[in-house]
Amino acid sequence: MEISVIASSSIDGGIGSWDLKTGKEQLRFKTCASPAHGLTAVGEKFIAASQLRNASASSGSIFFWSWNKPQVEVRSFPVESIKALAANTEGTYIVGGGTSGDIYLWEVATGKLLKKWHGHYRSVTCLVFSGDDSLLVSGSQDGSVRVWSLIRLFDDFQRQQGNTLYEHNFNEHTMSVTDIVIDYGGCNAMIVSASEDRTCKVWSLSKGKLLRNIIFPSAINALSLDPGGFVFYAGSRDSKIYIGAINATSDYGTQVLGSVSEESKAVTSLAYCADGNLLISGSEDGNICVWDPKSRRPVRTFGHGKGPVNNIQVVRKTIVANSNKTQSSWKRHGSLLPPPLEKYERSGEESMDGIVIVDPPPSADVSVYSSFLSADLINEQVKELQQQGSAATEIEMERLKLEYKKSLQMNDQWQKNYENLLEVVMEEQNGVSN
Amino acid sequence: MASFERFDDMYDSRLKSKILRNLLSDNVPNEKQPLTNFLSLSKVVSTISTHKLLSESIDQKLQAKSKSAVDDWVERLLALISSDMPDKCWVGICLMGVTCQECSSDRFFSSYSVWFNSLLSLIKNPGSSRIVRVASCTSISDLLTRLSRFSNTKKDAVSHAAKVILPIIKLLDEESSEALWEGILHLLSTIVILFPAAVHSNYDKVEAAIASKIFSAKTSPNMLKKFAHFLALLPKANKGDASSWSLMMQKLLISINVHLNNFFQGLEEETIGKKAIQRLAPPGKDSPLPLGGQNGGLDDAAWNSEQLIVSRVSALMLCSSTMLTSSHKSKLNIPVRSLLSLVERVLAVNGSLPRSMSPFMTGIQQELVCAELPTLHSSALELLVATIKSIRSQLLPYAASVVSLISSYFRKCLLPELRIKLYSITKTLLKSMGVGMAMQLAQEVVRNASLDLDPTIVEESDAVSSKTLSLTKGALLQACSKKRKHSNNSVVEAENSAFEVGVPHNHSSSPISLKIAALEALETLLTIGGALGSDSWRERVDNLLMTTATNACEGRWANAETYHCLPNKSTTDLVEFQLAALRAFLASLVSPSRVRPAFLAEGLELFRTGKCQEEMKIAGFCAHALMSLEVVIHPRALPLDGLPSISSQFPESNSLASQRHNTPNLNKLNDIAHNGDDLCNRWQADVDVLPSNPEIQRTIDTTLHLQETKRMKLGNDLATVVSLSVQNHSDMVASENVQRADVPEKVTESTEESLGHGSDKDVMVSKEEEDLAVKDSLMEEATIGKKRESLGESDDDSIPSLKADDYLSSDSGIES
Repeated sequence: MEISVIASSSIDGGIGSWDLKTGKEQLRFKTCASPAHGLTAVGEKFIAASQLRNASASSGSIFFWSWNKPQVEVRSFPVESIKALAANTEGTYIVGGGTSGDIYLWEVATGKLLKKWHGHYRSVTCLVFSGDDSLLVSGSQDGSVRVWSLIRLFDDFQRQQGNTLYEHNFNEHTMSVTDIVIDYGGCNAMIVSASEDRTCKVWSLSKGKLLRNIIFPSAINALSLDPGGFVFYAGSRDSKIYIGAINATSDYGTQVLGSVSEESKAVTSLAYCADGNLLISGSEDGNICVWDPKSRRPVRTFGHGKGPVNNIQVVRKTIVANSNKTQSSWKRHGSLLPPPLEKYERSGEESMDGIVIVDPPPSADVSVYSSFLSADLINEQVKELQQQGSAATEIEMERLKLEYKKSLQMNDQWQKNYENLLEVVMEEQNGVSN
Repeated sequence: MASFERFDDMYDSRLKSKILRNLLSDNVPNEKQPLTNFLSLSKVVSTISTHKLLSESIDQKLQAKSKSAVDDWVERLLALISSDMPDKCWVGICLMGVTCQECSSDRFFSSYSVWFNSLLSLIKNPGSSRIVRVASCTSISDLLTRLSRFSNTKKDAVSHAAKVILPIIKLLDEESSEALWEGILHLLSTIVILFPAAVHSNYDKVEAAIASKIFSAKTSPNMLKKFAHFLALLPKANKGDASSWSLMMQKLLISINVHLNNFFQGLEEETIGKKAIQRLAPPGKDSPLPLGGQNGGLDDAAWNSEQLIVSRVSALMLCSSTMLTSSHKSKLNIPVRSLLSLVERVLAVNGSLPRSMSPFMTGIQQELVCAELPTLHSSALELLVATIKSIRSQLLPYAASVVSLISSYFRKCLLPELRIKLYSITKTLLKSMGVGMAMQLAQEVVRNASLDLDPTIVEESDAVSSKTLSLTKGALLQACSKKRKHSNNSVVEAENSAFEVGVPHNHSSSPISLKIAALEALETLLTIGGALGSDSWRERVDNLLMTTATNACEGRWANAETYHCLPNKSTTDLVEFQLAALRAFLASLVSPSRVRPAFLAEGLELFRTGKCQEEMKIAGFCAHALMSLEVVIHPRALPLDGLPSISSQFPESNSLASQRHNTPNLNKLNDIAHNGDDLCNRWQADVDVLPSNPEIQRTIDTTLHLQETKRMKLGNDLATVVSLSVQNHSDMVASENVQRADVPEKVTESTEESLGHGSDKDVMVSKEEEDLAVKDSLMEEATIGKKRESLGESDDDSIPSLKADDYLSSDSGIES
């Protein structure tokens, strides 16, 4: 298992990647200027990032990089500029939120646009999958946070009935939503959203309503959750990382974990690494800082570049032991990366050709196991031979006995006939001789 | 001589050659001695594997001795194999298989070729008897298995394996003994799994031979399954990539649909079948050869036997299911649409005749079809489970249609066997798709499980206890009068016949396996989406599960001994049922809900009694349940301080910290903070991560710099501000940490004053007032219990941070 931190910026500084354990800088992926929440690792397969482009461009663009090459490998051009991008854990679907408020769902393996729906009135700012990838939470510039059940989006019957597509619609934020996190609570999860209106709000997924409103001294740019579900970290514009308590009784934040820079450059992104319990912050001054949340001390820094870091993600990659094998399997599969994402939804009968491409499990290279059977066979056959007196043979025996008796009787009969005949013959002979 | 030799103990390696020689002389027949006792053979095998008799010693001194013993052993086996007597030959072959498994690698490597050839000649020899051939197949399979573990002989191994294929395919065609078929299939699977390259050249022949067996009327249902399993493996041998897998799947689906077209004639619109075939083999493209080659058995006399068609289709479906669920090394293109529409097609036919079709079908025909339909439906449901399992979360675009298919079929389905399958499908769906699926399926699962678990017809003896009756009344959904009557009758019955307890008396009651399936489905639903049903189904389900669990366990635990005298299926069933009921009950207690779990008391009592039961499975589960419930009784919020130290991981962190921040007192704090038990600490300390009491807040306020407070008020429109964000208050931030031990003087001076001197009631009243504004609580269910204890009042769940109250009151109590 290798844990990397990847980070991107809004001006073209590429995507930096570092090994979290050793602190070594890894490959820098070139040509990337992405909006906040526009960078995502797609499963363990590759990196995808939406791109900021000049306003005159008619379409948006999303680039893919494979893990071992710095150049952009696949370029897709969706119909509009994509702000937020997210992939599910397995890396089978990518969702993107456009400036118009539309949300797009692509199938990674084929690049097909499976669904497009109008999510918000204004630009989508962030997208988050729930823990089991069945729900999608989206935040928008218009201040609304909405929860979508992906399964229901595909339910054409309900769609036709004109039901609302979303499960919950949270409208309490007065300004643009900047970040959303969802905790490990499953169906009872807490959703925390941050906004430019200087509040963070805690929502209950199961009840679908606001639980807490926590006010901060400054607008919050980024959020991250402690897995214990007790506190969350909020990166603010005043360069501080605050600690908010989810079940606090006070409306106001809060303690400070630390400050990322003396020149009060804003904290722009946060990530939590469960392996070792580390908090990772990115700031406007281009630095990435790793914190120990317990001691509230920074333990490591990475320099990304001059531009503000606006995306950080922690990626776990399983290291395949035999590198030769993976390379040969890449050769076998041809290109490693999937085709570009399509622009339009296909319509009608051929919209889905009904094929789903399933990746092999990562452990498929484990050598096959076949067991020895001789010993079992011997016991089985011995048992079979032992059962000589079993029902089948007994029945056979009885049958034979019966047959034997019958033939004995038959024999007697013949004997008698013969004797009778002999008698007749003898008598006749006697008669003749007499 | 040697017989006077003494050994150290049972691990002495000199023993090995000794025992082996003894076995050889006493228990293994030779050319002259006939085989007398078959049982001794089992003894020989077990002794060899226990003492590892064939592994030759590496010790210099003992090497010669052990080598000569094994030499003799192998020589004897080869002599036996070449014997004319079938029984001796059989013994030799079997022991050779064991030798392949047990002998040292050097010996195996030097002589496997000889052994292989002598075994192969027996298979080829037309005069060999059945038992000899079965044994040779198994022994060759073991030989190849051992051979596959040598990496340096891949080529040789493949050429050896390839030699076997044609002879055994020939045998498969000629012989009709099932035992032999089984042996051949095992050998073939070994080759396909270990040396797929060996099958390449004869792939078509193998496929044709297997297909003809599946299509043959003479194959027994048991063997059909085994052939289907092997056929599912076969694509691995044909290039082993995605395209060969897809080709096999396509062939299977076409074959299934062709069979169904025939079977469903008159029962469904003909266009359905045509469409299905068209989707699988689009007119423009080349359609593949039918399964098993050109004349794939599609036009034989068997067309007229409904039973035969169904058993074939079931076998083919089983084969597809196995292909879907077995592991694979490359990407697969799974034709989900075709699979789902096939399942839909089968489930849509229930034996009724569409009006337009009725004149074309006779009553007898319909009767024959209806007799076979349950088997067909069952296979189709299996196929559906396999499809879902294989694509898991990628079912997403199709999930809604699967849900509607399942729901509508659930409503119509009456047979317990099929309902069990439906429950297992729901479980798979819930597990693979998560919360979103729970939203879709909850109502359907609850409705059906309530019907199947209807407590009025559970087990008759339970009606005896009046307590149960009163409990069930509340939970009843619809109790028809007939069922009631029956349960009344059974009161007498149950008294007379204690042994009939738990045995369903009439068929209207669902069998125990169905109830187990229903309970498991409910458990899964509660696990995945328990919090979603708070408004609707949750209360009903909690009640139902409580009733079921108490009924399942009550009175029965006392009888456990009686049951143990009769070790048969029904007692294990009963234990399984109790376990399932307890599991589901635990899920209903632990699964998040808005209110305190209604049956917490009953649950604790039940699990405590259950923990003392003789049946270890149940006792073990009850112990686990009590542990899970402990968290419900004593909820914890996990503070940060319990995290493991990471200084070993980042040795340079200290220097970094001191560079950037001058926080010497933080280090001190850390040292103190490590005193273990969080929960205990929090009980003792006045803690929350944040100051939670307005009194405290106000006092802290005054300690803040006025300027700072002002700024924040302006900025945020606040009434009161608690902001510890000021840098020069960093020591105070630290002091608010969760540990009691480090409550430093600075803060506590003021806070404790206000607490200690002010009356407790005041604090609490003001607290409640404030909290009323915040309606929902994060900790409500967890805290309600405690609230009742400590406050003796229990209006509603509007007091979110009661925990803090408790701490406060107890704390200040101590202080005053």
